Amino acid sequence: MEDEAYTDINGNPISLDCQKHCSFCREFTVSSPKMSIGKVMGYTCAVWLAAYAVFFITANTAVLTGAILFTLLGMMLHIHLVKVDHESVLVIGSLGIQVSSSYASGRETSTFIEMSQVKDVVINEAIYMHQIIYYLCILLKDPSAPDDVSRVVPLFQSSRPRLNCLVKVYKSCQEILSNC
Amino acid sequence: MGNRRRAAAFSHATQAVSGPTAETIKTAGRKHSICMVSDFFYPNMGGVESHIYLLSQCLIEKGHKVVVVTHAYGHRKGVRYLTNGLKVYYLPLQVMYNQSTTTTFFHSMPLLRCVFVRERITVVHSHSSFSAMAHDALFHAKTMGLNTVFTDHSLFGFADVSSVLTNKLLTVSLCDTNHIVCVSYTSKENTVLRAALDPEIVSVIPNAVEHGDFTPDPSQRNNDRITIVVISRLVYRKGIDLLSGIIPELCLKHPDLHFLIGGEGPKRLVLEEVREKYQLHDRVRLLGPLEHKDVRGVLVQGHIFLNTSLTEAFCMAIVEGASCGLQVVSTRVGGIPEVLPEDLITLCEPTVQSLCAGLETVIARQRSGSVSTPASVHARVRNLYTWRNVAERTEKVYDRVCGEEVLPLDRRLRRLRTHCGPVAGSIFAFVAVLDFLFLLFLQWWLPDRLMDLAADASGPFGLWRQEASESKSKAPSKRGGQ
Amino acid sequence: MGPDDGPGAAVAWRKVLWERQPYPDNYVDQRFLEELRRNEGLRQYRYWAVVREAGLVGQQLSCVAIFITLWLYMEQGLLSPGTLLLISLASSLLGYGLYQALASQAEPVLQPRTCWADLQSVTIFLSFIFGFSPVLKTLTESVSTDTVYAMSAVMLLAHLVSFPYTHTSPPGSLSLNAALFASVCLASRLPGALHTFTMLSCALMVFALWPCLLRRVKNGAPHHFAAVCVGVCAAGVGGLASRWPGGAVILALALATVILLCPWLLVQLQRHKDNIHGPWDEAEISEDLSHFLQ
Repeated sequence: MEDEAYTDINGNPISLDCQKHCSFCREFTVSSPKMSIGKVMGYTCAVWLAAYAVFFITANTAVLTGAILFTLLGMMLHIHLVKVDHESVLVIGSLGIQVSSSYASGRETSTFIEMSQVKDVVINEAIYMHQIIYYLCILLKDPSAPDDVSRVVPLFQSSRPRLNCLVKVYKSCQEILSNC
Repeated sequence: MGNRRRAAAFSHATQAVSGPTAETIKTAGRKHSICMVSDFFYPNMGGVESHIYLLSQCLIEKGHKVVVVTHAYGHRKGVRYLTNGLKVYYLPLQVMYNQSTTTTFFHSMPLLRCVFVRERITVVHSHSSFSAMAHDALFHAKTMGLNTVFTDHSLFGFADVSSVLTNKLLTVSLCDTNHIVCVSYTSKENTVLRAALDPEIVSVIPNAVEHGDFTPDPSQRNNDRITIVVISRLVYRKGIDLLSGIIPELCLKHPDLHFLIGGEGPKRLVLEEVREKYQLHDRVRLLGPLEHKDVRGVLVQGHIFLNTSLTEAFCMAIVEGASCGLQVVSTRVGGIPEVLPEDLITLCEPTVQSLCAGLETVIARQRSGSVSTPASVHARVRNLYTWRNVAERTEKVYDRVCGEEVLPLDRRLRRLRTHCGPVAGSIFAFVAVLDFLFLLFLQWWLPDRLMDLAADASGPFGLWRQEASESKSKAPSKRGGQ
Repeated sequence: MGPDDGPGAAVAWRKVLWERQPYPDNYVDQRFLEELRRNEGLRQYRYWAVVREAGLVGQQLSCVAIFITLWLYMEQGLLSPGTLLLISLASSLLGYGLYQALASQAEPVLQPRTCWADLQSVTIFLSFIFGFSPVLKTLTESVSTDTVYAMSAVMLLAHLVSFPYTHTSPPGSLSLNAALFASVCLASRLPGALHTFTMLSCALMVFALWPCLLRRVKNGAPHHFAAVCVGVCAAGVGGLASRWPGGAVILALALATVILLCPWLLVQLQRHKDNIHGPWDEAEISEDLSHFLQ
């Protein structure tokens, strides 16, 4: 299954893990690479050097303290709120879809969507920053108006895999959805 | 390697067809991937908008792939699909004035490049000289090495400062455009002069009218009276001031004359004043803005169609009027004399006196019953201008353009310098160099191989067409963007 | 027909769209651009006629110079306000008489303003200026003198730029306001309230009344108009020369440029005029359609 190498839209390698728990239950996990130490060091050094330059001119030690606190706080917030290591979609036929993401700090968030609310899972195109990308999303319907799409839930928002990866997930999802 | 992977991904996405590589495109006959660019597209309404839409539909019918690029209209942004898989990109660019975007020469580059690359565009076709985005697209397409076509829909003077400046910009913009399409011979002369072009690369392809939508229906007419229909935007350029002079003149002379005026605009006030002053409320009806589908219903109620435009490249309204079987009276301006044969139209000078005289002769003819029947007029007009014919002729322009070479940067710069004068030429040569550097930066920042190729909805590998022919499998799960 | 299909049968090409012709779409006929017309309705200027018209611009420039000269005299105490008031009174009466005399022969107005109405306006204006002159005197005290001068210069320039040289109406509101603003600024730098009052009445004379009289002269006695312009220009240069020779030289050069050089350039450059007309031009509505609405 893992023979194809996947990348995200910026060309960074990611990995897709498909687990078949049973015939109507599948889990897809997209994992981004861990935060690289080099990058963290780079950012930290940049902030500290800038702070030292300011300190050199103003001779105010508060700048250095501020820089240290800023980098520490920034790193903590980053791993807690921004950096996502794994994003997974668990599709259970006739029951629903669970979307969860786990952050680098270990925090996990997940939402569950009942199957009665799910209209379809589709691949869509959107303009994202200065490019046009494909993304996978769940279309939700309001039970009172089953023909309309009430809301769109985009999947893999942090890892943003490319089309080949999305197509694989999409096909597996469709297999389950069409059977229930 | 990257290519193969992409092709594989593509075949997954499309389910039915294998990924078209460069070779297969060539063997598929002269089928082009055309990108129509203009600021003006639906939901905006007007001549350019319907031209782009109907031309695209006919080109799709002929097996070409067409995508339309325009700017976002309110909440309508992202990617949408229209009839027959016509894909429309509504790019989020800032609108400046009159639905035209601002131009900085650069900011539209990343998104336009994205569209051109992922849709594998071979010809960029820009519309309307009022559209900044169209000019931007021509410029970027040349930087990216694509062939370009431009359609000019309007006439411009040479007298004032603003037209001198816009004409200079047009000269620069059309300097290395491969082919230009104009809608009438007058428009061609105008464009050739404005942009200092070689007339050989300017083709005249008139607009067309959906004659199926404009059929006569004499039963709708009230034959106790004579009804003159006017359908246009109520603005100065459409000669509404002339109309405000004609209405009282003729209404006083002919008590059975009625006016039916459709359209909206700032000059509506003038018409309302005239109606008020001469107590013509029952004889002059102002219908307000009309939807395209309602136009025919208004046209068939009339006997005479009146057009008072002061300038017009190609007047679709008079063809629509004639197609509904009306007698057409129009001013002799711009390309109008070229549009209809002399026995179907009465041409007048743009003065109240001349228009009244023209209308009087037509009214007299109408009374004596010596006019041809609506059905015979329709039969004569219906085959004059068809979108299929327009698409065929446009296709030939694409065929010719595709064989042409795109100037490399050094020759492009030399051409800009020699063609656009030493000052403007040098400035825009500099801009062209910057544009090229920006393209290199973008290619480094987001290489082409990282862009997913789009699944075709139309064209030789179009999914919608195949779905329609197979007519069984479920439509691909792609919907309009957010 | 697509581009470059090659001409087929020897049918004469016609400039019509409704007929399918055996020519390619990009066919260029002999008659291409035959309806192009160049320099239609071109006006040929004659040098002296243009110089005459430019005289109006020159004399307005001189008027500003005369006003500045008066101000210089007042500021340096060389001219007492009383004398100036007497002179202006005399010249106003003279001008008014001339104005009325020219009115009778120039344009028969339906309802001429009576002398009584004129006298009323004059009284109102003068009493207001007189009443407010102490206020105007102190108005710009908190502003530095440099600023006041700069503002006056800008405003006088605005007056010259926006002066309606072509229209036959009295001086436009923008130019008149700019000039009066400048005169208030300058007058507030004079030593006393009476000086301010005098200066402002002079400003009204030079910038409001004089253009009206000049217009009458131009319409009623066109032969004397040139002489009047020359006279005003000479007065402007001469007056300025008595207090500020350098300024006078600059003014003389400016006048020569405006009156003699610019018309010459206009006539010379006329040769290079290349205006294109054709069927694509927007038609102009030449008739007056307003009578339908009246």
